[in-house]
Amino acid sequence: MRADPHEFGRAAERLAVAYLQQRAYRIVAVNQRVGRGEIDIIARQAGVLAFIEVKARRTRTCGTPEDAVTPRKRHQIARLATLWLGSHPRSLVGVSDVRFDIIAVDALERPPRIRHLRAAFDGS
Amino acid sequence: MLARIESEALSGLDSHAVAVEADVVAAAPAFTIVGLPDAAVQESRERVRTAIVNSHYEFPSRRITVNLAPADVRKEGPSFDLPIALALLVATGQTRCRLADAAAIGELGLDGTIRSVAGVLAVAQSAYGRGLRALLVPAANAREAALVTGLRVLPAATLREAAALMAGAGGPAVECPDPETLLDVEAATDVDLSDVLGQGRIKRVLEVAVAGAHNLLMVGPPGSGKTMIARRVPSIMPPLSVAEAIDVTRIYSVAGMLPPDVSLVVRRPFRAPHHTISVAGLVGGGASPRAGEVSLAHLGVLFLDEFPEFRHSALEGLRQPLEDGEVTISRALTSLRFPARIMLVAAMNPCACGFRGDKTRACCCPAHRLAQYGQRLSGPLLDRIDLRIDVPRLTPRDRRNQVSGESSAVVRERVKRARARQRERLSGAGVSANAHLSARGLRELCRLESRAVAVLDRAYDELRLSARACDRVIKVAQTIADLEGSDTIQGGHVLESLSYREPPWSRR
Repeated sequence: MRADPHEFGRAAERLAVAYLQQRAYRIVAVNQRVGRGEIDIIARQAGVLAFIEVKARRTRTCGTPEDAVTPRKRHQIARLATLWLGSHPRSLVGVSDVRFDIIAVDALERPPRIRHLRAAFDGS
Repeated sequence: MLARIESEALSGLDSHAVAVEADVVAAAPAFTIVGLPDAAVQESRERVRTAIVNSHYEFPSRRITVNLAPADVRKEGPSFDLPIALALLVATGQTRCRLADAAAIGELGLDGTIRSVAGVLAVAQSAYGRGLRALLVPAANAREAALVTGLRVLPAATLREAAALMAGAGGPAVECPDPETLLDVEAATDVDLSDVLGQGRIKRVLEVAVAGAHNLLMVGPPGSGKTMIARRVPSIMPPLSVAEAIDVTRIYSVAGMLPPDVSLVVRRPFRAPHHTISVAGLVGGGASPRAGEVSLAHLGVLFLDEFPEFRHSALEGLRQPLEDGEVTISRALTSLRFPARIMLVAAMNPCACGFRGDKTRACCCPAHRLAQYGQRLSGPLLDRIDLRIDVPRLTPRDRRNQVSGESSAVVRERVKRARARQRERLSGAGVSANAHLSARGLRELCRLESRAVAVLDRAYDELRLSARACDRVIKVAQTIADLEGSDTIQGGHVLESLSYREPPWSRR
């Protein structure tokens, strides 16, 4: 699996989408471009609207996938989410909780391990 | 949803109302606190979040805005943890607020326990003063808050308990300790004047000093017992009244120096700061001003050992509190007042080596240092010390032959009687002790017999007393007369008073 890094990332995102669908999440949008940034996955489950950042790692050279979501990245995601909510006001109908999740795809071994961190961070 | 919990914020020794408002809406999650919070209040977010989760409540994944009103007053410290957490629980519908007219304070631990906070007495007084009738406090602070009669104190040890109390669950009532009985039982001190062997003259001076609230300077070589004597001064002071004890407790409570199981400070304070103390440490101060040692010694004794070794600026800072009985600290935004009605007891060596005038050891100071030593103390400061006395060193042989003398209780009774006489005579002048008399009060309220006037006039000429020194002699003579139960100041009283005024380093 020495493929193109972009392809590796896309593969991880597809894996995450399949994982969410299995758990009764409805996928609202994938690779949603907002301004100059991108939100990996937006998903809905009952009253929860989740903005999900997918991170994958093949090695531990740069730490765990979760570690890659730096404070700066968290800030960016929170800002993008607010922007997206502003342009999609209808998406909040029936929503009680809004969450920022991380899906970590650990490809150290096969099959890859998936960890879903719910409410991993907030925008403050 | 919006929720609002009343709370209180300390500023100096006073507390004022703060409303904690929490709003939780479905939007990109964030947790912000507004309303001029300082760093400790900002960090309260992490404590509140973790305490809520660990108390098995749900922390909302929504946008949370907490406002501390009024928004223009700086909020400090961790005491808002509890009201913020309660407001969040109410705003998310996880508990209900059925308590009317209630306020809450407390610091949260990560496991949801409630930790004690400083200044609960001041908070309880302020909350009751503005019409609130119940106060949720950390369990460790309950007895202190219960000193405010009429206020329903609700002690909580955990966030869950606090939420239940908010929802209207009744708890065991905190018994209100009766201050009178506390003062009766606990006022006994562990040191006694009879521990000091001999030194009869000094014990007499102590009695005069305490009876008239005069400041005292002891001069003597090392090992003469100055510190031991000073520690026994509070034991001959009349016991604190209930109002006084509450005032002292409030100062210690705000300073966070109240021991956990103590509800009321019943002993007169005795503070003995080291001579390296800073100005702010001695008179109070800091960016958010805190009480200094003079305020911690309020209604008690401030003992300054090695008096000339204190920083000049620190000693000069004492002048205002000695004069006014309080410290005023001004900052750009606020001006705070701390009470500081103290009896100053200072001790010093007669010279740099310590043995000037000693019976058995020779002083080895060069002449120029002798001249310098006493001059470190400024005239205006010395003017505020009515009594000055030599404390000689006793040899072991001397000590064996000495008797221990009267106990503190006996002396205290005489002091009490003298104080009562003063209060009666001085009631019109707005002061309670001779030492605080103004020059005018002195002329109007102190009656000198003709022989006393004659002695004073002679002393005035021969000792070249200043007018201020003369006033001091009369004040002390008045206290001596009060101790004797005499309505007028007699010649003997003036003579005794004169013997306590010499600046010791100017002799020999």
